[in-house]
Amino acid sequence: MVVGNTQPSLRDNLSLELRRGALVLAVLIELRHEEYGYSLKKLLADKGLDIDEGTLYPLLRRLEGQGLLKSDWRVEDGRPRRYYKVGAAGEKLAKELAAEWKKLAGVIGALIR
Amino acid sequence: MELIDRYAHEVGQYLPSRLRADVEAELRSLLTESLEERARAAGRPADAQLAADVVREFGVPRDVASRYAPEPQYLIGPRLYPAYRTAVKIMIPVLAAVVLVLMVIGQFRHQGEPPSIALLIRATGSFLSTVLFNLGVMTFVFALVERAMHRREAGGPAWDPATLPPVNDPDRISYFGRIFALYVIAALALMFNFFPEWVAVVVFHNADSRVYPLLEPAFSRYLPLLNAWWALAFALNLVVLRQGRWRRATRWADFGLELFNAVILLLIFIGPPVFRYDLLIKVVLQWFLVFSAIKACVMLYRLLVRKTVEPWHAAAAK
Repeated sequence: MVVGNTQPSLRDNLSLELRRGALVLAVLIELRHEEYGYSLKKLLADKGLDIDEGTLYPLLRRLEGQGLLKSDWRVEDGRPRRYYKVGAAGEKLAKELAAEWKKLAGVIGALIR
Repeated sequence: MELIDRYAHEVGQYLPSRLRADVEAELRSLLTESLEERARAAGRPADAQLAADVVREFGVPRDVASRYAPEPQYLIGPRLYPAYRTAVKIMIPVLAAVVLVLMVIGQFRHQGEPPSIALLIRATGSFLSTVLFNLGVMTFVFALVERAMHRREAGGPAWDPATLPPVNDPDRISYFGRIFALYVIAALALMFNFFPEWVAVVVFHNADSRVYPLLEPAFSRYLPLLNAWWALAFALNLVVLRQGRWRRATRWADFGLELFNAVILLLIFIGPPVFRYDLLIKVVLQWFLVFSAIKACVMLYRLLVRKTVEPWHAAAAK
């Protein structure tokens, strides 16, 4: 496939697919320490993973609904904030996904070379 | 900022009520923080323009809400929609035929005269209300099945290839047939319980029309039995749909229901008149009774002859 000829929307969709799984892993890893939505977004952006807010915040809720994250409301600087932290199930899953990710990255890296 | 409040509220409108307040509060907090950060970066106070940029980037409220919602946000999904469309296409001409037959019977039995245009318009109006009632029942049934199938897939065990049925599978169900049966049962139960006056013939006398109810007061004594049959048949069809195929237990239950059906028909047949045109109805009932008895015999024969449990049956039953 010639990348230069790829339609922008198709490339965007495929890129989104590629990032989607990585996003869950990144969130689970970063939430080993408690964060609220906006601080997590900035933290990930500072590390080079810029995530759309409209994608990240619903994702946090879904992961919580799946029992992978825990959350609680707290008032800080006069503002209510919902803090998230990875739970035991989320931590276990993060380790498994990280191992899977390393393996996959190695294979793809070798294929690209 | 007012725009952020409006935005959070709008997202909440597309969410289930149990999530709404919490998601709205979180969105307000996060978007306000995002706005303040943006204002700092721009070196000016937060204003309506910056707020509009923040919510525009966040996305269209309906799309954002769909990312939060854990369950399907539709009544009938793409999997069942083709069957729903087919069912509606069948229902309308069948209803038209039933109404027409009742009108013809009424005209002959009561020496009616050709109806006037005004009466025909009124008759068309009542036909449309019948269609709307049936459309409502059908939509309800399809939505119920959609939810039941979604829950089954979400919480069900992992798929096992051993459960793949043979090519010629006698226990395969027709999803369309089962759902259509649910609709017929629900429509009949609602009509006979809550709108018995709809079971009637309309006779035209030139400029006037007269409604002749078909049900006699004695019909009400059979209603508890009919309600029990409808409730059991509805439940059985739902179970079969959830299981995705016929199993031995549901086959036996179906046989039991057929016997129950035959008993009810027999009781109505030998009892006092329950319909206005008793003689005509009794001929129809007689045929139904014969058909039901033959069907029950065939079902019993198949149940007794097909004793072997195939390996895939055992896997499917796990």
